[in-house]
Amino acid sequence: MIAMIDLLLIFRILVFPGFTFILFLALFCEWIDRKLEARIQNRVGPIVAGPGGILQPLADFIKLLTKEDIEPRDTKKLVFRFAPLAAFTIMIFAMCFLPIDGASVLSSGTSIAESGFNGDLIIILAFATIANFLLFLAGWASANPYGTISSARVLTQFLGYDIPLYIIALTPAFIAGSLSIGVIAAGVPYILLAPWAFVLFIITMQAELEKGPFDVPHSESELVGGLETEYTGAKLAFLHLTRDVQVVFGSALVVTLFLGGPSGPVFFGLDWLFHTIWFVLKLIVVVAISAYITNVFARLRIDQVLTGNWKILLPAALLSLMLTITLVTWVYHPFGIGV
Amino acid sequence: MGVNGDASFVANNGLHHEVFKVLLDADEKTGITAITGLDLGANIGVYYHVRTSKSFFTIKAEVPKENPRLKTLIDIHPGALFHELEVADLMGAVFEGNELKGHFVLSENWPEGVYPLRKDVDLSQVKFVSTPEHETNKSAEGREVKIIIGPQHPALLEPEKFSVTVDGETVTKVEPRIGYVHRGIEKSTESHTYLQNTYLVERVCGICNPCHAYSFVGTVEKILKLDIPERAQYLRVIALELNRLHSHLLVLGHAGLEIGYETVFQYFWRDREPIMDLIELTSGNRVYGSLMTVGGVRRDISQDHIPKIKSVIESLRGKLPFYRKIYNDEPTLRLRMKDVGTLSREDALRLSVIGPIARASGVDIDVRKDRPYAVYGEIPFKEIVYTDGDTWARMNVRMDEVEESLNILDYVLDHMPTGPIRIEAPRSVPPGEAVCTIEAPRGELLYYVRSNGTDIPERVKIRTPTFANIPSFLKTAIGESIADVPSNFVSLDPCFSCTDR
Amino acid sequence: MADAKTWARVKSPWVLHFNSGACNGCDIEIVALLTPKYDIERFGIKLEPSPRHADVLLATGCVTHQCAERLKRVYDQMPQPKFVVAIGACACSGSVFEGNYNVVGGVDKVIPVTAYIPGCPPRPEAIIDGVLKLLSTISTPPKKEKQVQAHRAEPALAEVKQNGKQ
Repeated sequence: MIAMIDLLLIFRILVFPGFTFILFLALFCEWIDRKLEARIQNRVGPIVAGPGGILQPLADFIKLLTKEDIEPRDTKKLVFRFAPLAAFTIMIFAMCFLPIDGASVLSSGTSIAESGFNGDLIIILAFATIANFLLFLAGWASANPYGTISSARVLTQFLGYDIPLYIIALTPAFIAGSLSIGVIAAGVPYILLAPWAFVLFIITMQAELEKGPFDVPHSESELVGGLETEYTGAKLAFLHLTRDVQVVFGSALVVTLFLGGPSGPVFFGLDWLFHTIWFVLKLIVVVAISAYITNVFARLRIDQVLTGNWKILLPAALLSLMLTITLVTWVYHPFGIGV
Repeated sequence: MGVNGDASFVANNGLHHEVFKVLLDADEKTGITAITGLDLGANIGVYYHVRTSKSFFTIKAEVPKENPRLKTLIDIHPGALFHELEVADLMGAVFEGNELKGHFVLSENWPEGVYPLRKDVDLSQVKFVSTPEHETNKSAEGREVKIIIGPQHPALLEPEKFSVTVDGETVTKVEPRIGYVHRGIEKSTESHTYLQNTYLVERVCGICNPCHAYSFVGTVEKILKLDIPERAQYLRVIALELNRLHSHLLVLGHAGLEIGYETVFQYFWRDREPIMDLIELTSGNRVYGSLMTVGGVRRDISQDHIPKIKSVIESLRGKLPFYRKIYNDEPTLRLRMKDVGTLSREDALRLSVIGPIARASGVDIDVRKDRPYAVYGEIPFKEIVYTDGDTWARMNVRMDEVEESLNILDYVLDHMPTGPIRIEAPRSVPPGEAVCTIEAPRGELLYYVRSNGTDIPERVKIRTPTFANIPSFLKTAIGESIADVPSNFVSLDPCFSCTDR
Repeated sequence: MADAKTWARVKSPWVLHFNSGACNGCDIEIVALLTPKYDIERFGIKLEPSPRHADVLLATGCVTHQCAERLKRVYDQMPQPKFVVAIGACACSGSVFEGNYNVVGGVDKVIPVTAYIPGCPPRPEAIIDGVLKLLSTISTPPKKEKQVQAHRAEPALAEVKQNGKQ
């Protein structure tokens, strides 16, 4: 019996919904992102690798793995080697807390609400911050001026945007009355109760993930390849993958906090299958919104990004929190909404 | 062709400085268009091609070859800086007060004291010196970091190096190093016939090649005193305006790429393709059509082509309001372009800036209006002038010029006369010299040709618009964010293959 | 495993563009490849900013003395396996600039070239064709020299030549 549970747990961690599934989900979302970007720009996008080009991200990944791995002379070797891999690992770990198939990877709970523990929301947000910090280290260790400037921008940007991100992430937590991801995901989709927070969260997420119009650390026209400039081969592959997982993580967080996570009608007793389908479908919607925002705006300057944070987003986040608390205290909870 | 540019007078022994000062005081729009260095045997000729509000002439100074020193003009007109350095590098003239250190356009391993444009130099015997130590991306002292943009850099399609020193994110110094694309075309023209040179000068630039070809054949036709058939003139205007259209659409899109607005880039380039098809239809090739020839054009357009051209013009005109809306109203685009790289009217005049950059700063110079060539005198069109002087204004000048070009094309297609498209021109050109300036998409383009009676020119001087506009970037980039460098720079519509030749 | 490797390399060639003295004609055509009409991303081809990320170097223009050393450096910075495509008459041979005082010659004077795409400038279709023919030589085993020869015999715009065994 114990052996059975262990085997199941190992399967859950390594295959589904753990490592392998998250890996392919990340590559799939990159494909969606690239395809949508191409369609918005009147192009076709990848088409020859697999049906509709769906295997393009995988081809890129395998190719990078098989390329020569160059380590330039002046790099800080240890950090240069391990930062990309460490960032990738932490992001995968953070993903494991999300109830992808109706339960988080490590949990043995039977319903969505029981799949986590109180406070795991704060933990995964902290993981995301640590991963960003590792990316900063990766850029700094490459001893290249483009990498250095790019990673300095990563640092300024995520330090600034973490504050509104945490504050807005608390909005659904207040409505649900819990800091557990499972409880939040099991409630009604909080986009209905706090649509303003959803909009703010998407914008903040866009900045946190360094996607357009906040993609200043990846600005090709001044910083060449940004913090990836000196990376080749497998290390570059993992940096790319980290970014993909980050994007999936950000979108999955939006899904979990505001769109009800994996909740949805289930049939035939196949709870895990339908929960996964609902989760992925909602994820695609969020990825699409994110791709749309990326493509209809010009990239801001770093000073404009920071002003936008301190002067607009942070006050807006605080106002949003106050509004939520007011509504929760006097409207939602007295009438039994969202509990 | 008129007498434009044929007026000249000699001003030796430092008189050129006095003459220029008088001109500058009399007319604020006086500027140096180009400085030509010539090998005249015992002497070196330094010819200052000067433009004023409505006229154009040449101040000729000569200095002995053994001691080729003359006074610089940068103390009264900073716009002469690049022109003087180029003559110093290629012809060996020394400008007192503006001495050249190292090389300006020649490569770093070129030996000192060998001046390729002099006639008595045997270039096959040149011994290249060893290359100096490569400049690395090492940080400068303290907080300042030196970022090297180029020669291989995604913001530049072409290899050119700009060492940008930044303090945090603010640019404190920009040092250009041009000459990466210097192919020695001016020298090369001296060993080819006029016919071959028509094709050679086109290869100065892959974007504005009809302008180069027109300007070159224009000078030769001036020396030959040819009367070009009117239909040929109209066909030339079609080629030049199609070229302006594709060039402006190109840079309007490219600017989008530099500010991370890839969608704009894709849209503009999508709509540039029909124009490329028209260029192919009228000249036979997407890029190098080689339409111009001495005496007219090589290819006529048939009556069935006209509806096709008109339909493309109409469809592009229909799309313009949308693009205008993007450039006028899109908030993030305005944030990135408004008040970026602002060039005041005074600086634009002092630095001798030309073309859309000057017109965006309120200086109304357009060769098509000031000194009409081909049949531009007969065509009604507006001269676009903005007064903001920033990147946004420069792009909007181009946006409005796209519409004017469409109007010009419409007018030309409706008023096209019938008749021959070329006349017979002799292969040899009698001794003489002439200057032809035209308004290329990037500004005033100058060709100076000196002939010696054979079928090979003695000297061809090419002064390209970007060469004259780069100093304005060096001025406006200081004190701005490093993130604004690419968008500021691309607003000049830089073309380095033009710059270096 | 080897199959997956080859498949990935053929489907995901990231290119780097370096201009060592071109007139802009070829360069603009390369940029045009990215745009809706030609959309080279269909084939998984991406224009990369850094030489460290690239598989194929698209070299344009004759090599000037000032650029020669830089071109070599960019080539050295690329990770193995790498390919060079010379685009345009100037990159193939030096073209009209051959013999000028500041020009070294074609790209192959400085770095090994895998494929040549002639034209002044080559049409975007020709560039796509050339790069794809280069990729087809990766997927076929190196023994079949004959197949490469057959490409050359075709009246195609691009000429592919095996240069140096990778």
